[in-house]
Amino acid sequence: MSSPILKLKDASIYQGDNLVLSNVNVEVSKGDFVYLIGKTGTGKSSFMKTLYGDLPLNQGEGHIVDFDLKTLKEKDIPYLRRKLGVVFQDFKLLIDRTINDNLLFVLKATGWKDKTKMTSRIEEVLNKVGMTSKGFKYPHELSGGEQQRIAIARALLNNPELILADEPTGNLDPQTSIEVMEVLQEINKNGNTILMATHDYALLLKYPSKTLKCDNNAVYEVVQRKSQ
Amino acid sequence: MSSSFEKHQKRKLISSYFSVVLSIALVLFLLGLLGMLILNAQKVSDHFKEQVVVTIYLKDSAKEVETKQLEKSLAMAEYVKSTEYVSREQAAEIMKVENGEDFMDFVGYNPLQNSIDVHLKANFVTSEHLEKISAEALNKDFVEEVTYDNDLVKLMNDNVKKISFWVLLVSGIFTLIAVLLINSSIRLAVYSKRFTIKTMQMVGATKRFIRRPFIWKSIKLGIIGALLALIGMAIVLYYLNKTFVELELLSNPILVGLLFVVVFGLGIIITWISTHFATQRFLNLKTDELYY
Repeated sequence: MSSPILKLKDASIYQGDNLVLSNVNVEVSKGDFVYLIGKTGTGKSSFMKTLYGDLPLNQGEGHIVDFDLKTLKEKDIPYLRRKLGVVFQDFKLLIDRTINDNLLFVLKATGWKDKTKMTSRIEEVLNKVGMTSKGFKYPHELSGGEQQRIAIARALLNNPELILADEPTGNLDPQTSIEVMEVLQEINKNGNTILMATHDYALLLKYPSKTLKCDNNAVYEVVQRKSQ
Repeated sequence: MSSSFEKHQKRKLISSYFSVVLSIALVLFLLGLLGMLILNAQKVSDHFKEQVVVTIYLKDSAKEVETKQLEKSLAMAEYVKSTEYVSREQAAEIMKVENGEDFMDFVGYNPLQNSIDVHLKANFVTSEHLEKISAEALNKDFVEEVTYDNDLVKLMNDNVKKISFWVLLVSGIFTLIAVLLINSSIRLAVYSKRFTIKTMQMVGATKRFIRRPFIWKSIKLGIIGALLALIGMAIVLYYLNKTFVELELLSNPILVGLLFVVVFGLGIIITWISTHFATQRFLNLKTDELYY
């Protein structure tokens, strides 16, 4: 397929001074849906954090959406994150403003100026996650699943080349997890690349796809048996 | 339906900004009062300095025209505040009042001389200046003697220097306290938003963009605090002026106005700088470090 959006070569991932993962070799191409699984504490989150610049990559090579993680400078991090859409386990919405203002903040922060374009873009992404009518609400007035959908909508705002989802269903009940998963699948079908960390194996079985596993300080690809 | 509840909640939150505004207001108010003290300390010391009298004793042979001319030229000089001609009769009169007895009764004649009392402007009351002035006057051949209390002048200048040093030191300490106090209130306010700040960074906002609304908000609080402080200062000034009319607190409205502007400016600058550093602190932390 086309050139990889994410490519790690012999990378070592550190959490502080502790080596979490070593010799990581990963490639994600455009349009992929990739799972990252592993028990808690095996380094999934550190792996994700390294990808969006919250942890530095000191060893090995790393390229993500045209940015070189090894030489990534502090001032470039915001611009890297604009090309990524990050979805968190704990949603991380701005709790002091409404959904619309949450999304508006992101647009303004990433350089949008035209008011009508911003409004229509917000409408568009809310429509994609099926939350059009909730724009005026505050995050705390929404359920967990709804908040996560808003977070996904937020991740979509700038047409990211890669969506990083760090345990997006970790805080949700199984039914809601599936709803959120459906949204992600839908987005993936529209051509967005998604890397999703999870420990929810039920989802893997239901929506099989390329899977990476973190274990014993290493990341390797899991060959999936076809379910059923 | 829930709007009254929300309003209540919001009101509670507003009160947390209230403490920031209050600490800014109180600190600036104190600083302003100190500023007024400094401004008026100058005035008080000037007042005392201008009490120093240089007396020019004239020879009896001095012609009236010469005397008049000297007095006039002195009055025109930039270093002179006022002059006063004291004839020997007036001098005797004053002495009589001071001593309580008429010395002419036992001396038999008036030994005093005509003289000119010169009051200098405060800036020129230094030993060097007084020497120069007296030397100038002594040049005139109808001047007998020039006297002034040199020790008093020296003592006064020394004391003024000492006092102004301490006042400056105290105001320096106060300014430091002001900055620290305002800084810590703002730091707490920003600290409570540290996760919001992190989230903003996660979605690709630049540090500058995140900082801006925080700074703007703090400046607004600073402005409100400064205005409260200025109102307090105005009230104090009004009553002091009414009670101590002789200090002429408002005689220099430009200086008082300048003090108000400075206090207002300090309110803005201090909040600005401390918000900048407080937000920068959290902007530079990694997510994991926020939990410590």
